[in-house]
Amino acid sequence: MLIRLENVHTFYDGEKNSTLKDITLSIAAGEMVCVMGPNGAGKSTLLETINGMLPSTGRVEVFGRDVRRHGPEIRKDIGYMLQAKTFPEDTPYLVKDVVLMGRFGKIGMLRRPGMEDWNAASEAARFMEVDHLWERPIGKLSGGQTQRVLLARLLAKRPRILLLDEPYSNLDCRSVEDVSKKICILHKRNELTTIMVIHDTAHVPDICERILLLKDGRLIGDAHPDEMLSSRTFRDAFAEA
Amino acid sequence: MMLPPSIVMNTIIGASLAAVVCSMIGVFIVRMNLSSMGFCMSHAAFAGAALGLAISRDPFALALGMATAVALILGPVADKARLQADVVLGTMFSLTMALALLFLSIAPGSVVSSTALSVLWGSVLGITTADLIRLLVLMLTLLLVISLFYKEFFAIMLDRKLAEESGINTKPFYYAILFLCGVSVSVSLKLIGGLLIFALMVNPVSAAYQFSHDMRWIMLISPLIGLASSISGIAASLYLDIPVGSSIAIMSVAIFLISVALSPKRRHGQKC
Ligand SMILES: Nc1ncnc2c1ncn2[C@@H]1O[C@H](COP(=O)(O)OP(=O)(O)OP(=O)(O)O)[C@@H](O)[C@H]1O
Ligand SMILES: [Mg+2]
Repeated sequence: MLIRLENVHTFYDGEKNSTLKDITLSIAAGEMVCVMGPNGAGKSTLLETINGMLPSTGRVEVFGRDVRRHGPEIRKDIGYMLQAKTFPEDTPYLVKDVVLMGRFGKIGMLRRPGMEDWNAASEAARFMEVDHLWERPIGKLSGGQTQRVLLARLLAKRPRILLLDEPYSNLDCRSVEDVSKKICILHKRNELTTIMVIHDTAHVPDICERILLLKDGRLIGDAHPDEMLSSRTFRDAFAEA
Repeated sequence: MMLPPSIVMNTIIGASLAAVVCSMIGVFIVRMNLSSMGFCMSHAAFAGAALGLAISRDPFALALGMATAVALILGPVADKARLQADVVLGTMFSLTMALALLFLSIAPGSVVSSTALSVLWGSVLGITTADLIRLLVLMLTLLLVISLFYKEFFAIMLDRKLAEESGINTKPFYYAILFLCGVSVSVSLKLIGGLLIFALMVNPVSAAYQFSHDMRWIMLISPLIGLASSISGIAASLYLDIPVGSSIAIMSVAIFLISVALSPKRRHGQKC
């Protein structure tokens, strides 16, 4: 198992109760998993627990290693896209900086980005079709453009796992199709393991074989999309507040 | 006022080094929203120096101690945002200010008249070779640390969470910045004065922001603008016979205002 969670509780600073409650879950290499659930269910929290950015109790293992002990090391091979991340207009960074920065952890301390790093970054930008924005300040992009740049940033890292938090939230309908196709191509070509938070059932990719359903911090469903989307649990999860 | 050339020379060198040091660290302060932290540290350093005068100990060492203590106390607060940072900073600020005034009031009379004022406003006359060496060592240390970990600092200044995502362990760097900020404040205190250091940390960087969308340039031109503020400030101070600290602070504000007026970013209908 590439990702393994056992009785995991995740706490936010200053909160008495855990946000994620007793999650047990395994994900094998090569799986494409979608995470669904109402607002505030804990979907984003789950992604940040998996890559070790939030403190948790229980066991969280990725690549067979404890993320709380080896967080930064493990994150070098995980591409995590934050939900609806935007930058203020006067942010003094260019698109190329932001894309290249995806690799900074991987490059390691006391070393400068080299040819290989710039190549990976520009290849990722071409793949996401944001190479024409290369020299633009990051704060002056549209929401959809920013989203593509952030995806390029992840790909520049050449990760083994993708954690995507609502990758379609700012995209128009044609872009959704395009980006979705790209994610699937990458997933297959690079033999990635992908976990993707989505809201719209129409966005579940064809190659997805598993949907996790979260509510109130608990994992209340884990099934094949055909089964999940027609299930009672799924409908009830979104029924009342 | 006529001063011996050697003193003028010391002042120019000292103020230039202090300006470069302060605006180098200022880039981090402005970009990472640590302004109130820097503000608080400079006042803590001021209180430390005042304590030194009161008990006849080395004001520099106590200033450094106090500034570092503030960084250690407030760092985790600002880091985790558990408490509203502004509230804590406001409290700390009034406490350090009150302490500083209290210490000054109990310091021996003769000391107060000369040294205390220099801690408050900065002093032309008091600069020693030891001060200059301290500033030089600090500047070289900053240059070394920034160039060794340029990549990490560059990423953290964009967004700490994104830096963390890429696999950088950001915590040591965050505290290194706070610590270096405290040291810079303490070392520059004597020249610029506790009340005005802050101007030299923030104004040159704010001016640099008017001219560039590229962090590399901002990191490069901020110290140069700081240097310009400091040299023009000293010139004004000599001609107009005003305290050098205030003069430098006023110049840095003037340069900032001119930058805003000249900024290509603000020109109507023009994108850059
Ligand atoms: N920084 C934080 N501090 C304390 N509580 C938080 C923090 N971030 C999120 N929470 C809480 O944790 C719970 C889960 O939040 P999370 O962001 O994981 O939800 P989500 O499922 O991603 O929702 P959405 O669909 O709106 O993105 C929510 O109740 C939220 O209020
Ligand atoms: Mg979310």
